[in-house]
Amino acid sequence: MDRRNRPMTRRQFLKTTAAGIAIGITGSSALIQAAEEYDLAVISGDPASATKKALEAMGGISRFVKKGQRAILKPNMSFARTPDFGATTHPLVVATVAQACMEGGAQQVLVLDHTLQRAEVCLERTGIREACKNIPGVHVLTLQERKFFREIKIPRGRVLERVEVIKEVLDSSVLINIPVAKSHSTTGVSLGIKGLMGLIWERESFHSQININQALADLATVIKPQLTILDATRALASGGPGGPGEVKKINLIIAGVDPVAVDSYGVSIVPWYGQNFKGRQVEHLLIAHQRGLGKIDIDQLKILKGTA
Amino acid sequence: MKKYIQALSLLLFSAFFLLATYKLPDWFPADIYLRLDPLLGLNAVLALKGMIDRVLWSLILIGATLVIGRFFCAYVCPTGACIDVLDFLLFRKIRRPVLKTDSNLRRIKYILLLIFISSALTGLSLVFLMDPIALLTRFYTFVVYPLAITLINLFLDGLRPLFQGLGWITLSHLHYPQPVYYMSAVTLLIFGGMMALNRLAPRFWCRYLCPLGALLSLISPLGLFKRRVSRDCNECSICRKTCPMGAVAENPTKTHSPECIQCKNCAETCPKEAIFFPSSFSVGGEYSTVNISRRGFFLSLAGGLTLGFLGSQSPFTPLQSKHPLIRPPGALPETEFLRTCIRCGECMKSCLTNTLQPSLWESGLSGLWTPKLDLRMAPCDQNCNVCGKVCPTQAIRSLPMDEKNHAKIGTAVLKKEMCLVWAQNKLCLICDEICPYNAIVFRPVEGYRRPVVIASRCNGCGFCEQRCPVRGESAIVVVPDGEIRLKEGSYIKEAKKLELEFKPDPGDDKFILQDSGFKIEEERKKEGDIRPSEKPNPQRPKGFL
Repeated sequence: MDRRNRPMTRRQFLKTTAAGIAIGITGSSALIQAAEEYDLAVISGDPASATKKALEAMGGISRFVKKGQRAILKPNMSFARTPDFGATTHPLVVATVAQACMEGGAQQVLVLDHTLQRAEVCLERTGIREACKNIPGVHVLTLQERKFFREIKIPRGRVLERVEVIKEVLDSSVLINIPVAKSHSTTGVSLGIKGLMGLIWERESFHSQININQALADLATVIKPQLTILDATRALASGGPGGPGEVKKINLIIAGVDPVAVDSYGVSIVPWYGQNFKGRQVEHLLIAHQRGLGKIDIDQLKILKGTA
Repeated sequence: MKKYIQALSLLLFSAFFLLATYKLPDWFPADIYLRLDPLLGLNAVLALKGMIDRVLWSLILIGATLVIGRFFCAYVCPTGACIDVLDFLLFRKIRRPVLKTDSNLRRIKYILLLIFISSALTGLSLVFLMDPIALLTRFYTFVVYPLAITLINLFLDGLRPLFQGLGWITLSHLHYPQPVYYMSAVTLLIFGGMMALNRLAPRFWCRYLCPLGALLSLISPLGLFKRRVSRDCNECSICRKTCPMGAVAENPTKTHSPECIQCKNCAETCPKEAIFFPSSFSVGGEYSTVNISRRGFFLSLAGGLTLGFLGSQSPFTPLQSKHPLIRPPGALPETEFLRTCIRCGECMKSCLTNTLQPSLWESGLSGLWTPKLDLRMAPCDQNCNVCGKVCPTQAIRSLPMDEKNHAKIGTAVLKKEMCLVWAQNKLCLICDEICPYNAIVFRPVEGYRRPVVIASRCNGCGFCEQRCPVRGESAIVVVPDGEIRLKEGSYIKEAKKLELEFKPDPGDDKFILQDSGFKIEEERKKEGDIRPSEKPNPQRPKGFL
């Protein structure tokens, strides 16, 4: 007999309703349902559990990583600074995402960056290598040689026609961007979109020859992370991107599929250089938004706030 | 037996050399071979006219030589081992000419020793030119090490498809940063020449030229083990031919003791088994005197003093306090530094960023091969203090990390006419971005935001100079002005005294806004109204609209 075609009995109705209320009270079902409905998940708590909860809120890692896939994680480990400087992504945030990917059935996880300072010291000082050391299938790599990059065209590029990107990023179907929230002396803030510069080979011309804000938007048209998890457990509110500067401990993890939305929310969380700004006031985010890469007005976003 | 000990010693030397990296634990003496070398120590102490703690290690070798004899050359010296290996590979089958002037040539090493010591007394350190341990360390640094990295990377590149096929992630992305140095070619030529001399006589270098060998042979006659020939000897003189040092006299039962390095080749090849090395107390004999005339002695003394004079006869000498080079953090004051540095290249090998480079003629004869920073190529990393740790004569003081970061090596100077921001209004802020000490800040100048260096926060690390995107010479360069060079005492205290601050206050950039005196507008910009970056916009941090 097909149960689904039978009308619902009163008893069943009551049971289902009770169960629904029970789940609703615990809140977790709301989180699970949030997956497609919410633009952003903003979770406060310690780095590991807030990250875990933010992932759940975005529909769980299985929404992004399918079984047998290779996942690329892009934290910021560009500076040889310990986590308390706020210049690099918190190692526990990276390790939590990596662990989730592996548990979700990923074939392997590559944690990649093209660092600004000496790679071996960056790996050591940021703590990211250490945090991922004992997770099987997770490899933390810094790619500092041109041979590990491949040139691609940027069809919609305004100031960049081509760019050399880390091969693994081009060859993998999953890219999760895990930037840290920090100020940036050239672009105002350095969040997810600015973090994409860690995946390309040549970056000096961004500062000397072309408009960096346009170039970042160009880059965002070809490198599209499936998920951005902004580590705002600490925000480097000034002195960025390398620090030292004012580190605000705000214990937030912001996750979202829309890279502009995540960054735009990230702009609003702390005053930068002592001033409050909105996403629209950050030039590269505004350009990215105008070019159709994402939503910028956070009051129009559906945001799930929670505590881990 | 001798071969194994030699191989082990060469291996140890190479291993210690390789371990000299920024991760070196404080207690580990990676420079042990250099510390043990009494010639380098003596030279540095004489030139500096002061004691150096690490030099005391060389008493071990002096003591051992006094007790045992000149065993070092045959068993321990890594340069000797290299000579023997290359001799075996290249010249094994070659009939060497007979050097008639053998006994005259032997004197050269004593003459050189005297020249080096007397020039050291005048304050000119020259022994680095010919000390075998310094020479070999230099050869390793400038030739062997970069070559090894190149070969390893080629090997990795060759196997990369295989690693990728096997899914070995780490190996398929492994690549070692290639170290590069000035003067690699010169160093190779010198070392090659040293080896080529063996074509003329076995261990030509050790017999005739090595000043360390000369020093050790001077103190070896007391040694316990000496060559003795029993009555079974039929004077076939095979031992004379096999002795690599030419230490067997024309009468094969006699030995030129100072030349004997106790390799025991003679005992092994003697058909009558008539040669022994028993332990015995005895000094002297006609063959144990060092063959250098009074005339030769005074001539070489004069030679050394003349060299010392010539070395100081250069405009570099009075300019030493105004020298143009960026020296490693913790380097002694320039005069003492030049006297103490033995140019082994160990600091340049271990340097994390490869910024330490040998000088050629920038500070004259007295500064050859001394380390300088090439900050356009690489900065001095604030997480590394290895150069002092591995310096065998402490010409670069071994400092804890915090002290090292207060050992200011220079000050960055911004060249406005070349700076992209000052000269061309571009959106460049790389120097500010990379500066680990927030020593570069932006200030409103005539309505534009301009980078300026705060000298009291700059310790000269050179990240700005290296990263400056201007082609060719950097628009921001570190000059030695403001460097702190202390013979002793704390750099942190000195920096405090000079009111330097290498750990800036948090929120450093705030004062740009306060300084500017502009009121901060809160009005929202209309979509699409993006101000061109060329317009002055001093009231907001860069990147915000």
